[in-house]
Amino acid sequence: MTAIERLRRFLFATALAGIPLAHAGNGPVDLRAIDAVHGDAAAGKAKASVCSACHGPLGIAIVPTFPNLAGQKAEYLYWRLVMFKRAGKPESPMTAQAANLDDASMRDLAAYFASLPPAAGTAGTGTMPGAAIYRDGDPAAGVPPCQGCHGADARGRAGADGDPRLRVYPMLRGQHAAYIAQRIKDLAADASPFTSTSHVMAPIARTLDAASVDAIAHWLEAGAP
Amino acid sequence: MRSTDAIRRLLALVLGCATLVPALAQQSRDDLARSLPSTNLTGGDVQAGASMMNAAPAPGFAKAKVADNPGAPDATAVGERTCIACHQLESEHFTHTFHALGLHAANKADASIPVCETCHGPGSAHAKDPGAKGLIIGYTKDSGTPIETQTKTCLTCHEGGPRDHWLGSVHQRNGLSCSDCHNPMAKFSAEGLMAKASINDTCAQCHRDVRLQFNRRSHMPLPEGQMSCDDCHNPHGSITSPLLKTNTVNETCYQCHAEKRGPFLFEHAPVRESCLNCHTPHGSNQQTLLVTPLPFLCQQCHSGLRHPNDLHTPGSLGNGQHPDERAMGRACVTCHANIHGSNAPSGPKFHE
Amino acid sequence: MRTPRLLRPLPLAVAIATVVARAHADSGVGVDTWRANKLDPTGGATIDGCDERGTSWLEAGVHRSPTGNLYACPPPPPVTAGHGEWRTSGVLSIGAVATGGDDGNALWNRYVDWDGGIVLALLAFDAERAADGTYASVRASRVSDDDEYYQAVFGRAGSYKVQAFLRDMPNLVTNTAKPIWNGVGTDHLTLPAGYAAGASSPAAIAALSAATPERTLGVTREKQGLGFSVYLTPQWTAYANATDEQRHGARPFGGPFFFNFPFPDNGGVLETVKPIDDSTVNLEGGFRYAGRVWRMDFGYSGSFYRDRYTRYTYETPFALSPLVPNAVSAPLTTGQFATEPDNDYHNLKAAFTRKLPMNGELSITASGGRMSQDDTLIPPVACQGVFGIGLDGSLQTGPQNPYLYDCANWNTPAALSRKSADMRIDTSLLDARIVLQPATDLTVRGGLRYEREDYRNVYLAYNPLTGQYGYVSENGSQGSVVPGESGIWDPSDPSAITRVRSLPLDMQTTEANIGADWKLGARDTLGATLAFSRYEPTHRERSTVDDGSLKLSWTNRALDWLTLRANVTFLHQDGDRYDYDPYDFTYSIDLPGFVAPPTGVPAHTVDALRKYDVSSRNERKLDFMATFMPREDMTVSASLRGDWSDYDAELGRQGYDTLGATVQWEWQPAPGSNASVYYAYDRSKLRMANINEINDSGSNPSIGGNTYVDIGRWWADDTQRNHNAGVVFAHAFGRVRVDASWNYLYARGTTDYRFASPLALAWADTVIGDGPGGGTFAPMTYRIDSLSIGVRIPLHERVALRVFDVYERGRISDWHYLGFDATHAFDHRVYTDGGPQSYDANLVGLLLDVRL
Repeated sequence: MTAIERLRRFLFATALAGIPLAHAGNGPVDLRAIDAVHGDAAAGKAKASVCSACHGPLGIAIVPTFPNLAGQKAEYLYWRLVMFKRAGKPESPMTAQAANLDDASMRDLAAYFASLPPAAGTAGTGTMPGAAIYRDGDPAAGVPPCQGCHGADARGRAGADGDPRLRVYPMLRGQHAAYIAQRIKDLAADASPFTSTSHVMAPIARTLDAASVDAIAHWLEAGAP
Repeated sequence: MRSTDAIRRLLALVLGCATLVPALAQQSRDDLARSLPSTNLTGGDVQAGASMMNAAPAPGFAKAKVADNPGAPDATAVGERTCIACHQLESEHFTHTFHALGLHAANKADASIPVCETCHGPGSAHAKDPGAKGLIIGYTKDSGTPIETQTKTCLTCHEGGPRDHWLGSVHQRNGLSCSDCHNPMAKFSAEGLMAKASINDTCAQCHRDVRLQFNRRSHMPLPEGQMSCDDCHNPHGSITSPLLKTNTVNETCYQCHAEKRGPFLFEHAPVRESCLNCHTPHGSNQQTLLVTPLPFLCQQCHSGLRHPNDLHTPGSLGNGQHPDERAMGRACVTCHANIHGSNAPSGPKFHE
Repeated sequence: MRTPRLLRPLPLAVAIATVVARAHADSGVGVDTWRANKLDPTGGATIDGCDERGTSWLEAGVHRSPTGNLYACPPPPPVTAGHGEWRTSGVLSIGAVATGGDDGNALWNRYVDWDGGIVLALLAFDAERAADGTYASVRASRVSDDDEYYQAVFGRAGSYKVQAFLRDMPNLVTNTAKPIWNGVGTDHLTLPAGYAAGASSPAAIAALSAATPERTLGVTREKQGLGFSVYLTPQWTAYANATDEQRHGARPFGGPFFFNFPFPDNGGVLETVKPIDDSTVNLEGGFRYAGRVWRMDFGYSGSFYRDRYTRYTYETPFALSPLVPNAVSAPLTTGQFATEPDNDYHNLKAAFTRKLPMNGELSITASGGRMSQDDTLIPPVACQGVFGIGLDGSLQTGPQNPYLYDCANWNTPAALSRKSADMRIDTSLLDARIVLQPATDLTVRGGLRYEREDYRNVYLAYNPLTGQYGYVSENGSQGSVVPGESGIWDPSDPSAITRVRSLPLDMQTTEANIGADWKLGARDTLGATLAFSRYEPTHRERSTVDDGSLKLSWTNRALDWLTLRANVTFLHQDGDRYDYDPYDFTYSIDLPGFVAPPTGVPAHTVDALRKYDVSSRNERKLDFMATFMPREDMTVSASLRGDWSDYDAELGRQGYDTLGATVQWEWQPAPGSNASVYYAYDRSKLRMANINEINDSGSNPSIGGNTYVDIGRWWADDTQRNHNAGVVFAHAFGRVRVDASWNYLYARGTTDYRFASPLALAWADTVIGDGPGGGTFAPMTYRIDSLSIGVRIPLHERVALRVFDVYERGRISDWHYLGFDATHAFDHRVYTDGGPQSYDANLVGLLLDVRL
């Protein structure tokens, strides 16, 4: 084998073997090319007792500053857990909870809560002030309509059933207003978002004033359209 | 170029520019006065300062309006701030492009001039249902926007001039879109807002075979970055096949090979007719981009008496039994050296 | 009209400033659309790699162009600094390169001058004032003295743009030159002391050539340009560009002192060196209008070429001897070439386009141009004393020596029918095209084009000093070897056949085409175009040449993962009667007093020969392109192109077929990571036939007559094959970026020949190898392996180190230069160029990229 041929072979080998899988590791979470999350809901149920303290026995939180998990997208739930675990932010109560979860447990829990019936809400109407912002945004303030990603019925993004990448946008219908408001506030203050979806939502959160946040949150809690 | 030479040439250019600039300055003196920095130091925001100067938008962007998207007839404009609330990263890349510079400045001068929506059409329908195709004018394969809508939108501002003959051109008829070659969403190329890093790489997306011809032994200096496909061809359409920028093949060549223009006292018919009678335009494995080896190249047309019509064999070469000037080295053009035409009174056969 | 260095940069710049002035990089007008070099042909576009965050936070990967090619990953946004209203960014990349191996090789140094040492890989600096869109930018790179560019742009987006540039480009022609003359690069080549012109022996010259060290010959282009474009109103724009380019250097050329092949130790075949020292000014300017209904484009382009030299002379080393006994040949020492004349060119163009109902457009372009030159004519010969043959054994002119001429009557401008060339061609063009879209799924097109080139003036070769017609052939050498073949006609030698007139080549082309494109649903488009062209050249073998063609095209996007484009063309070319000899009028044959030789006027050529540009032919073309998208991050593109031409020619070019295919796979799994592999193969075959004569002075032009007989026939096929392959790989290992590529070309050309009998051959005794009826030349091959590897290591937020290596192996074999490795001198032939050489060369470089 001549030197050139050796080099050629080396190059081919490098080209084929040298490219590691993208998005692996422990850095920020990139949710732009994820696969569907599958877990064992029954196993998840067995592991969920600790969750119910805050999120309610059936994933409906009693304290409104904690989010309802029932019926939420499994992909959203799983990747939130991953985020808590990887980001390790000391100020979050979830950091300690997620720290001890293995990957399978996180998938099982996600599957379990996703399988529960979501909160019904209290029958919101389209005339509530939040409805207009959710539906149309506020171009003058640079606010895009929420429904683009969270769905016209606030049950998640259109087409999400067929594409796991769209299931990282959470269902908001019936979610606690206090939680939503706090979450938007947190996102607006997040200078270095840890996930790709936070990179999307943080700038949007910053376009919303307190009154708008409040209006949207209450309307969603009421059960959207 | 030696350094003294470089200084001389630079000076000349600077002087040249300097003589041009007063004309410009005069033309835009009012603009410049208005563009003096704002005294409102608390503003600290260029955008706020600019709106106070109220400079007129540059003429090239003054006509910019929200593009017409037949795919979303009821949509309304939402403005750049709304777009970039979701498209933050795109905006970071776009901001450093020529379009962004011009549109942002125009938008500051006249808030009715859109930014994103100049090209993408009104955004409201898309914002409500971003997954639905065609609600926004997209320039990608899966955008759902018809090619005709894409090109029509670009031509709203870029009609005429080099793109005067787009309609009916070979690229238009084969269903190409502007965005097959251009990607104005980031600075992918040093110039020209190309889809790839250079004009040549962009053309090679489809014309790989032509691009590879430039790797041959004799070639135009294109792989070396010294010229581009666009030096000879206008991909936007032209009146001369194949998309040549000038009226004829030869006019195209003369742009860099002016010495071949003549007209010579004694002309060589195929030379005047088309350089491509003997040369390939892109690359050849013969010397000097020739179509086929000498002397056979010439013998395709010349069978005169006495010497041009002999069949040479390897025996006519420098290591043969009969080294023969008609086949060795430059072969025919050793003697008929001024083959492109001779200006010598004794040059009818291009000997002098 | 000798105006050396007429337009130097300074007056040029002032001249442009007076022109109301759009920019360089105009795809509609002019050249100079790209400035870069081999160190980075992208001009810095890829220096920062990719933004690792990708294109969008909303989606992974990149979108595809409408055809289906993956877009590139965007570069990271530049780091900007604020200075008042201005925002600036920039990059400086500076370092050193070193070459090794056969780094003097001309092929390795093609259009690049790796001098070694410090290089400015890139300086790019941009400043923007967001408030009003004003910007300024500088881009520069310098590899070495002869390989550099600098450009500066200043403007306001949508308002105006001023651009200036300097660019030097080397073109090394050969590195194996052994010019035996002194004065290379000047207009006078002299033999070194001790070597008498016209009197040196072949052995002495061979020794001189062998002792001459090899050197390089090449031409450097130094260009400077200034461009300006402006929006006068939102509809009207104006542009002006001016460039001035100087070429300096020298390249191998010719030098005829009559045949050596039939006459051993006689004649002279010299490959001299032509000086290149000229300058070209190109000017372009115009106005453009784009309104709602009308568009207009008015443009001027001009070119002014000035050569420092009108001629160059060279000394011939070899003595001539007469072909007749007891005679003597004039001792000739000096040969000459006229260089290309200074020329002026002006072209005006006006185009009007109007929008029509049915989404249509009608566009009419009219253009008129003039190219002219009035260069001082050089005398017919550069000799002193006499030229020709002294039949009586002396060199005394007089009736006793009818074929001996006084140089004094021919080496002066007084020997010319006029002092300057005064040649001109006027060109005119009218083009009209219409496109209508009567329905959304139907486009109808039509076009007409009329084009002319008119020659003004002809030159008559007449010497008023002697009253003779004709010229001095091959620096006087032909007539000094063969009595009566000096190239001169007079009534005392009424049967001499020589050129006496220039050849005006007026031509006219008329074209018409009509076509339609149908959209069959949203996914298929079918198109058809019928075109007809009539080419009417004067003084050519045909006075009308008609082309008719039908082109069919199909575009298909029926599958989400596939775009197909296919075009086929059928062409037939024909014409009126083929006149094998339309050139009589340029010869002494046409002069009153001409007397045909007893054997008749020799046949100009064989009447069965068809010159391929005007011969009848059938051509079929196929062009097929496909873009496959097997996965979101992969593209496979393939193309197939073929062109088959059959010429109706018993002799001449009989066929020219090309067929090529390419396939390329591209993968972009993540921002900054990509790989591609390509392979391409193409083959072309050119078939030709010719015939050798049986009788040097035969007058019958037909095969089977007294001149050409069947046994003189021969055929040659030239087949070219190219294999191209390559692999490109880029990946970021953490923050370290690695780029590697390998490109390969293997070209192989074979020329095969067949002949009816040895009569066809130049040398009947040279049939070797393949038997009596045919043979082949050694393959003409060119093989390049080019391997490059680069690593970019960030050292600091703003600083990165780049290390790269390019290794190239070139192998070339060109049979024209077989034997030249042993000597450049063969009897009375002496060659400068030793031909192209194989090489192994390496370039290693170290660059520091600093963000400014």
